[in-house]
This record gives sequence, C-alpha cells and structure tokens, in this order.
Amino acid sequence: MSENPILSVEAVTSGYGRVTVLHDITLEAGRFGNVGLFGPNGHGKTTLLRTISGLVAPKSGRVAFDGKDITGLSARAIVATGLIHVPQGNKLFPDLTIGDCMALGAYSPRARPHEAENREKVVKLFPKLAERWRQRVRTLSGGERQMVSIGTALMSHPRLLILDEPTLGLAPKIKDELCAAVMDISKGGVPLVVVEQDIEFLLELSRQLFLVDHGAVKTEIRPGESLEHSEIMAMYFGH
Amino acid sequence: MSVFSDIVFGGLFQGSLYAMMAVGLALVWTTIGVFNFSHGVFMMLGAYFAWQLVAFGLPVVIAFPLAVIVMAGAGWILQASVVRPLIGRPNIVLVVVITTLAAGSLIENGALTVWGPRSKQLPSLIEGNTTIAGVGVSLHQIAIIVITPLILAALWSFLNRTRLGLALRAVAQNEDASQLVGLNVTALYGLAFAIAASLAGLAGIFMGGYRFMNPSMGADPLLKALIVVVFGGISSISGPIFAAYLIGFFEAASNYYFGLYWTPALLFLVLIGTLMVRPEGIFAGRSRGLA
Ligand SMILES: Nc1ncnc2c1ncn2[C@@H]1O[C@H](COP(=O)(O)OP(=O)(O)OP(=O)(O)O)[C@@H](O)[C@H]1O
Ligand SMILES: [Mg+2]
Repeated sequence: MSENPILSVEAVTSGYGRVTVLHDITLEAGRFGNVGLFGPNGHGKTTLLRTISGLVAPKSGRVAFDGKDITGLSARAIVATGLIHVPQGNKLFPDLTIGDCMALGAYSPRARPHEAENREKVVKLFPKLAERWRQRVRTLSGGERQMVSIGTALMSHPRLLILDEPTLGLAPKIKDELCAAVMDISKGGVPLVVVEQDIEFLLELSRQLFLVDHGAVKTEIRPGESLEHSEIMAMYFGH
Repeated sequence: MSVFSDIVFGGLFQGSLYAMMAVGLALVWTTIGVFNFSHGVFMMLGAYFAWQLVAFGLPVVIAFPLAVIVMAGAGWILQASVVRPLIGRPNIVLVVVITTLAAGSLIENGALTVWGPRSKQLPSLIEGNTTIAGVGVSLHQIAIIVITPLILAALWSFLNRTRLGLALRAVAQNEDASQLVGLNVTALYGLAFAIAASLAGLAGIFMGGYRFMNPSMGADPLLKALIVVVFGGISSISGPIFAAYLIGFFEAASNYYFGLYWTPALLFLVLIGTLMVRPEGIFAGRSRGLA
C-alpha cells in the first residue's frame, strides 16, 4: 500500500443549513487498504460521505483526495478526479433503463474512453444486469437496483469507490451475492471506503475501521489490532 | 366532406401551435420541476425579435432562425436570473410561479415601451394560398402543419437518442445521482429553459405570420399550453404532444358545431371531467421525468 493516505478528512465540520452533523471529524483512509465505517443510525456516516463527494459543502476543515485538496469543489469536479460515490438507498433514475444508467456512468470525459471496457467488467460482475439491459430501474428488485448503482459507479472508472450501505435491506442470498461482488471489485484493484451495518462483512473487507459516533470518529481500529466481534459490538453500543 | 377536412385541417393547425408551446412548458417542468409562467412572453418576444430583424432588412430565412437562437439565450438568462437562485428551496414551485410571472410582466412592458402598442405583422413562412380537399388554406398554415411534427420529432430524438438528451432526462429524475455521475446540473437546467424558449419563440413566429402581434399576444397561448399539459399529463413530452393535437381537433369540431363562443366552456368541461377520472392526465404515468 502507498505511503500517503488516498483520502484524508481534516477537522471537517458539516451539516445541513443550521444543523451541524459532523463536528471536527478527522480521518485518514487508504494507507492500509480498504476502509470500513460503522456506527449508530443518524450519527453522520452518510453526511460524511456526502461531504467528501461534494454534495454537501463543509463549513470548515479540509478534504484531500490523493494529495489534492478537493474541499469545496463541485460534485462534478470531484467525479472528474475519479472519486466516485454510490449513495445510500437505491432511488437512482427510476424511468431510465439499465443501459441508460451505464451510459450515464460513463458521462464524464475521464470515464468515456474506458466505456466499453468498463461495461464488460460490469456485465461480468453482474450478469443479471445484461439480461435486463432495457428494463426500467423502477421495475427492478432492491438487489438489482443496488447492482445498477454499483455498476453505474464502475462505469465512472473509479480510482476510489465510496459505498454507502450497499447491502441495506437485502435478503441474505442476494446480500451474499453483493458482498462477493464488492470483494471482487476490491481485488480488481479499486480501493474502497464502505459504510456498513454488517460488521462481519466489514471486517472481512477492510483492515482499517472507524466508528463514527455523534459526528466524529470515536474509535479507529488499525491492522494488527484484530478485534473480536463482541468487542466491536461493545464499542458500538458505547460501553 | 368539406366539413370533415375543415375540422381536420383546423385541428392540425391549432394542435401544432399548442404542441409547440406545451412541449417547452413540459420540458421545463420535467427537468426542473417548476412551471414557467413567462412562457407566453417568450412566444411574444420571439415574434418581436423576428419582426425587428426583418425590419433591419434581413431576409426571412436568416431573420427567423436567428430570432429562435436569440430566444435560446433569453431563456438561459431568465433561468439564471429568476429560477436558478431559488433551486433547493422547499417552496420553489410557488416562488417560481411568482418570479416568472413578475419577469414576464416586466418583459411585456419592456416590449410595449420598445415596440409600442401598434399591432405588427410578420411575413408568412410561404406566401400564397391553395385548396386541399375542398378547403382553402394558406401555404403558411400548411408549412406550420408540416414543420411542427418534424421539430417535435427532432426534439424527441434529441432526448431519447443522444447522450446530452439522456442527461436532461436523468437530471429530471434524481438531482443527487445526476451530480454523482458528473452531470452539470445548472447547465442542464439552463439548456432546458433555452430549448423551451426557442420553441415558444418559434410558435410566436408562426403566429405572427397570420395574426396581428401585440405585446400581450402570449397570454392566451400560455393558458392553452397549461391546459394541454394538465390534460395530457406532464410526466413526458409525448403526453402533451398528443393532448395538444387532441385539443386542437376538439376545438375545431366544437367551433364548427357549437360556435366559437361555446368552445372554451366545453373545453373546460371536458378537462374537468378528464381530471376527475385521471388526475395525472390522460397520457401520463404518475412520476415526473422525461420519457
Ligand atoms: N437533507 C438533510 N437535511 C437536514 N438534516 C439531515 C439531512 N440528511 C440527514 N440529516 C440529519 O443528519 C443527521 C445524520 O444523518 P446521516 O444520514 O448522515 O446519518 P447516518 O449515520 O448515515 O445514518 P444511517 O445509518 O441511518 O444511514 C441525522 O440527524 C439526520 O436527520
Ligand atoms: Mg446513512
């Protein structure tokens, strides 16, 4: 792994309007491979990811991607650097077909030259999508939509992929399928930052974990500090 | 036979004008989620720009397309000044009704100051008259009936067959997700307004060629366009197009059988009846989005 963190968040304060959600949050990611984020509901994990990808402008602090300051850049400018965010939930583009979504994923000039090659990767990873290429997103199952979300992000030719609860609300079988796909993406060389409630999956995927609590990093778990599930659950519930 | 062709011809002609206006209104609604109440003023402005360019001595083949292009710029500017600053507000739909009404009234009074209240007329697209199936018609009207479907088809292919059109359809459905694939949301909003204003301007040029122009000439077409989009449903652009022609035929038939005087009342009756059965419009799905 590289010497420098691929993503660093320094003393970021952020929120919506007058509501502050993140308080001076600091974390460095990617020095040791994939990063997992977990924590109780409503404590700012999604807000952190939205701030990183430029959907929410931070009130103060600094975000850097691969050594380059991206604080306050538009989401579009951040996409152009190769930092790609798969948002929580799977609203997506309800009236577009899967094929349309993939074409949109490759919209940015950086991704366009790789469109054919990335489409092949997506189809290999999610063969189901190929069968339903002309089907509208609104008619897909939850698991299929999540595949479309991740597939669209892969079409954007990510240098870093941020996933917000990719397995939320999915039945066990389809969840396993998605977990395996996410592992495959990681093995394919794309570093990941993943928010997940499923700690087992997070432990399998990442060597560095952060517990986000009340809009700040409460605990950081580094490689080598192998933790038992029960210890993490204890942290989770704040004992 | 002549009654039938009279109605068909009248329906096609009115339907073309309604479709040209309504499609822009629907495009702005589906991409940005606001109603543009200066859409009628765009129509007037297009006609006056064209008139001015002709008055400068430009030939029609240059003056008319140029006016349409200038209207695209006008649409973009209006969007940037009275719509874009309000995006993200929870009450944006109502606020934009007011800001676009205000801007429209300002532009209308500006036009009155610049061009005066005296009625003007534009040259026809094609001069002359002919007789088709026993009905005497002007070539100008024939041109409108032929050109409108071509332009609407071009718009449809732009939206459905190009990457930029795909981006416009996407931004209508999910703004966050659009940003996360790198779409320039504000530019796409500007583009939607520019296209809508161009189409309205073209409708104004069509109208100025067979009727006298005055600064408030856009008010009635705006009302008709609103009726068309409510009637046809605003979840797509094909809904309003079909509705525009349907209403055109209805009016032509009603004018013939019941007279001009009763037609608006009958139209509203049918509209209200339709909306009681299908509140989302006759050709619509339930969601907002171009398809
Ligand atoms: N658009 C918004 N406007 C105002 N407040 C918001 C908005 N989105 C989220 N919040 C608030 O910000 C806080 C943090 O929410 P966030 O979605 O970041 O939490 P989370 O850790 O991702 O939760 P979850 O595990 O449920 O996804 C919550 O109190 C939430 O109500
Ligand atoms: Mg969340």
